[in-house]
Amino acid sequence: MKKIYFFGALALLFAACKPSVNITVPPTSGNADFTNYLAIGNSLTAGYSDGCLTVSGQLNSYPKRLFDQFNQIPPKAFGAVGGGAQMPFIQPLLNGDNGFDTSVSHRKLVLQFVHNYCTPNDSSLSAVPVYPYIADPKDMIRYNWTYNTYNNGQINNIGVPGIRVADYPVANYGNPINPFFNIFAYRFYHTLTERPIDELYFRMHNFEPTFFTMWLGSNDVLGYALAGGQGNGVGTAIPVLGNFYNPADITPYSVFTAWYDSALVAALSTGAKGALINIPDIASLPYFTTIPSNGLVITRQTQADSLNRYWRSTLNLVFQLGANQFIIKDNLGNIRQSVPGELILLSTPQDSLACAGWGVTKPIPQQYVLTTDELQNIRANTYNFNQFIYTEALLHHLAYVDMNAYLQTVATGVTFNGITYNANFISGGSFSLDGVHPTQRGYAIIANKIISTINDYYSSTVALIDVNQFHGVLFP
Amino acid sequence: MKKHLLAFSFLFCTISSFGAGYLINLEGLRQVAMGGTGTAWPWDASTIFYNPGGLVRLKSIQAYASMSMIIPRTAFGDPNGSAVSHKQTFTPFNFYFGGPVKEDSRWALGLGVYTPAGNGLQWDDNWVGKYVVQNTQLKCFFIQPTVSFRVTDFLAVGAGFVYGNGYIDMSQALPVQDLNGNDGQLKMHGNAVGIGFNTGIQLKFSDRVQMGFTYRSQVNMNVDGGSAKFSVPSSLASSFPNTSFSTQLPVPQVASFGLGVRPIDGLTLQFDLNYTGWNSYDSLRIDFGQNTAFLKNNHAPRHYQNTLSPRFGANVKISKVVSVMGGFAYDPTPVTNGYVSPDLPDANRVVLSCGVTVKPAHRITLIAAFESTTTMKRAGSYDFGNFSGTYQTMAVTPGIGLYYNL
Repeated sequence: MKKIYFFGALALLFAACKPSVNITVPPTSGNADFTNYLAIGNSLTAGYSDGCLTVSGQLNSYPKRLFDQFNQIPPKAFGAVGGGAQMPFIQPLLNGDNGFDTSVSHRKLVLQFVHNYCTPNDSSLSAVPVYPYIADPKDMIRYNWTYNTYNNGQINNIGVPGIRVADYPVANYGNPINPFFNIFAYRFYHTLTERPIDELYFRMHNFEPTFFTMWLGSNDVLGYALAGGQGNGVGTAIPVLGNFYNPADITPYSVFTAWYDSALVAALSTGAKGALINIPDIASLPYFTTIPSNGLVITRQTQADSLNRYWRSTLNLVFQLGANQFIIKDNLGNIRQSVPGELILLSTPQDSLACAGWGVTKPIPQQYVLTTDELQNIRANTYNFNQFIYTEALLHHLAYVDMNAYLQTVATGVTFNGITYNANFISGGSFSLDGVHPTQRGYAIIANKIISTINDYYSSTVALIDVNQFHGVLFP
Repeated sequence: MKKHLLAFSFLFCTISSFGAGYLINLEGLRQVAMGGTGTAWPWDASTIFYNPGGLVRLKSIQAYASMSMIIPRTAFGDPNGSAVSHKQTFTPFNFYFGGPVKEDSRWALGLGVYTPAGNGLQWDDNWVGKYVVQNTQLKCFFIQPTVSFRVTDFLAVGAGFVYGNGYIDMSQALPVQDLNGNDGQLKMHGNAVGIGFNTGIQLKFSDRVQMGFTYRSQVNMNVDGGSAKFSVPSSLASSFPNTSFSTQLPVPQVASFGLGVRPIDGLTLQFDLNYTGWNSYDSLRIDFGQNTAFLKNNHAPRHYQNTLSPRFGANVKISKVVSVMGGFAYDPTPVTNGYVSPDLPDANRVVLSCGVTVKPAHRITLIAAFESTTTMKRAGSYDFGNFSGTYQTMAVTPGIGLYYNL
């Protein structure tokens, strides 16, 4: 009998000794209604990563991340407004995971050891297009309603890589008869002849989303930056065909504001609530910050002397031991030494920098350089565009996500559950191998910023995402 | 009827402790059963740990052995979910041998081998905090040769040299993923050694009132030439070379005061105060034998704070054969807000304990003590890794032992 007491008591104690902590609370939608969510945007919205659009990129886009969090909100009672996602989230998914089309520029970038051109015994880990590459033929077929029988072709992510605000009035935007047609729009736009603004109205009126996010405007600046500032950059660009503006220039302010406003009017035309996301600081992307402008490293005085002799006849340049600014050609055609703060693009051929004397005895061509003036154009126009987006958000009572400020914080480092992310190329973890678009983790970080802004604005309690459960940069 | 009461008494001693921080406070079972008190009253040879000055008060040389079993588990929760650490069993042990060199001698000699500190927490390899810690283990024992001297009937002093030996294991995920998205991992293992001392003064006012003061020095458990093994994608093998590491973990200094009174025959009451110098654990610094651009020395701040623990205990002699003990204590955590790391997510503890001794034959005493730990739920953050959540630790700690008077 006493044994039973004793062991009974002991068993009870052991049984009582498994702790549990559950502090999850059901998320709520606050004043917003996430029943049916539509994402409007460009490549960042589509899920572009590692230089291309792939099905895994789409499945890890920030709109998908947002939907998954909205989806955790319990639905409200029948007839009540609000609640979580009750409609499915449909993206125009690709089949292939190596890149969207057969052109090298749309192939997925992977890390690989590449032999250096001038020192072939050395190799370095570099981002190169995947090889061999096998295109999935289905990816070249229009994603039409035969693929998607749900709700007559509903699509919840209409992010189109490359699209600008300036493209919203362009007819035949996805139509191959148009020399500037967008192949991503071609894949899923409702009709080929329509303008992006028509596609947006179609999505709003036929599927009546209750909540939208709009992240437009980056390409209105980025094209100019990626081209090394080859347009005039001061906002006086003129159309190159019809109403299609030079994609390598900055969109004129009046065009930007007119069509941003039109797109927003379309997005608001069915009474949906939403969030506007502003344009990131282009110059802090790893595409522009990885190659230092003072990458001309001189280790021997004789090298410095001979370089000084070499340039004495044309320019009065002083080279010294240590780090020196590269020689560049600026947008006026002047050959000069770069100044601190000017940026060398990641597209600069590494072989030419390493062995062909680029930046040393030959100037780095202007399409690979953002000069102080060009950076000023980028910053000033980004600032003006963002000011406009901000006033639109105020005017229309929408959440305003200051991604510009946030990504500058990320660039210097944000720590999340033990990992510090920053904007360093490859090692930073947040940006993919193209140096412009985020990794899966980077997109989750972005989604968290959007969620916390939405929560603040709409008094919702959408749960944040565990960023680290997704992929960062993958190493062979 | 007495046996019934005893059985029930186990039910009521459910919340207890295996010590704040990574001190485990299980060096003597009778003392454990009395809330961890034992600085004033030299009950048995475990006074080699609790107060070396008391060793000379023993009637004869004594051999003492005990073992406890700790089965701690820690739960973690954040808004996205929860996790529970793996079940692990630890068996801290103690051996003491010593006493007056001959009957009524003013000198006593002794040797203690005991387990003063330890920690073990194994999370799932893929848990949400994997980049902070996956698994951490600290195991060590101290060897303490001790001498004690009775200055007068009132005053006895004692001192021991402490040699510590043990090992540290740690593992964590590294944020470098292979082509399938699997994380890299760092596993560290190192043997740790350290030295220190343990001193005490024991004051005997009468058979009914005794007092003690002790000071145990800090023992820095040093790891030199531990092994650090990396599993990383092959393209990064040269950036994360398998190498050695060194680190240091302090077993902190403790100053104690103890008072014991026996108001009536058969009832002994004890009160202890422990002041523990945790602030020496300022950071966990891991220095690798070889550094690369990716592999830097790791310097994780801890900023522990000193703690003061009051302890109370009672011993009731029921018959010549059986005594029962009970006690309670408040054991505050040295872990400050902002430094609540998932390798040791500590919280304040309220300690309740109990035990029984049985003397089945002349010279032999058996001891059983029981503890179980429930820390309060603690919502905390580890700012260094921007990792936060709510933790709760529970453990049951039964212990058995015996001593034999030579």
